[in-house]
Amino acid sequence: MAQTLVVLVAATGAALAAALGVVPLIGRPRPPTAWLAWANALAAGMMLAGAFALVDPVPRAAALPFALGAVLGIGFLYGSRAFSQTGELALNELESAATEYGYEVLLVASLHAAAEGVAIGAAMASDLGFGIFIAIALALHNVPEGTVLAAVFRSRGVGTARAATLAVVANLGQIVLAVTTFAVVVAAPAMLPWALGFAAGALIYLVAADLLPDSYATAGPTSIALTVVLAIWMFGLMHGVLRG
Amino acid sequence: MSATAYVFYYGMITAAATALGAIPFALVRNVSPRVVSSSNAIASGLMLGACFGLVAEGTELGAWQTGLGATAGVAFILVAQRLLASSDVGFGDVRGAGARKMIMIVVVMTVHSIAEGVAIGASFAGGLTLATVITVAIAVHNVPEGLAISAVLRPQGASVAACAWWSFFSSLPQPLVAVPAFLFVDAFAPTLPYGIGFAAGAMVFMVLVELLPEAYEDGHRGTVSLLMSLSLIAMVAFQRLL
Repeated sequence: MAQTLVVLVAATGAALAAALGVVPLIGRPRPPTAWLAWANALAAGMMLAGAFALVDPVPRAAALPFALGAVLGIGFLYGSRAFSQTGELALNELESAATEYGYEVLLVASLHAAAEGVAIGAAMASDLGFGIFIAIALALHNVPEGTVLAAVFRSRGVGTARAATLAVVANLGQIVLAVTTFAVVVAAPAMLPWALGFAAGALIYLVAADLLPDSYATAGPTSIALTVVLAIWMFGLMHGVLRG
Repeated sequence: MSATAYVFYYGMITAAATALGAIPFALVRNVSPRVVSSSNAIASGLMLGACFGLVAEGTELGAWQTGLGATAGVAFILVAQRLLASSDVGFGDVRGAGARKMIMIVVVMTVHSIAEGVAIGASFAGGLTLATVITVAIAVHNVPEGLAISAVLRPQGASVAACAWWSFFSSLPQPLVAVPAFLFVDAFAPTLPYGIGFAAGAMVFMVLVELLPEAYEDGHRGTVSLLMSLSLIAMVAFQRLL
């Protein structure tokens, strides 16, 4: 029970971190679009490194269920994006005034949060310390992601405090899925490689589908590639310091 | 046959296996921009997946050394890109941006094989009993690397034979470096985490700065993401099972 509480607190902390994303936007309702591109690239590097870390606890014998879980995760996101017709949605449109666009961004953000929730829950079930590390990494990831979300809201006339609240609300699914995934995997340990795979596949897919394409188009490949590498490097440094 | 000759021949077998990666591209005739995009997406996934394995292996030997090597690998690609962009390079009949990418993938994968050659030589030093197992494992692992190289070369108009040749070429450092690494294992083994890190940094950055941006330019992002993530996972699972 105490462990479930740890999952709940860590996942809540990670979701709350999205509110910090609003800080660069204080007094700046319309930041330069290159900022959003770099914020997305930072988020992408963290997510990619997180997916890499999820492969680590998978034993060799579980490589196949891991891969099948990953295919499910990729398929789930590809399917839900195709079904909701948000497959080509750009996450950096500050000019669009369409009501639809706001809802679509919220939907996409909640899908991101869902994948991150499964990642936190699965990592916690594999090892509590590792799970806390993943939760911290994804909390950091949520900050630039929160900046992008808040910028979309701010440009539509939403105030700073409300934009921060909405960024957190979009991430609430993370808490539910982290706790659920943890509970399921603890009850049925054979599900662990499936859950780790699902999360890793989903995170990789989201990096490729949402975070990178518009960033390249806005800020150019070199600065985006360097920013992604910087985030991976930060993740590695954190791993070295926190996990030895 | 002497132990040194064994290391060399076994290294040649693993290099030859890389050429097998060109075979699926015998089927690709009609090279539309869509095919180029999909090929780039698949190559990106395979290379990123390979880096997952490299980083895991490198950090086990020395995390800081791997990180340092990776930073040098990123710098290497940045410099190579600048140098190749400022000169009018050709690769076969191809010139300009296409040729630049072809040269870069061959150079990156060849450099990456140097680190693998050190790994082969160092592991052979542990005794010849496991030699066959190691050789088969590395040979099989080389096939998707040939696939990644061919996925970049073929859409630019290279023949299947040329794809096979350059795939083989990229793995030549394996037998060539494995021999000295085997003979002087005490001197070579400490360089391994740096080399592995360098290869991983160069490959990740090459994917991020060249292959993925081009994949997005000519393809649907849903398709690119699907192919990239599936081939990444396939590579990771493949390496885990070996």
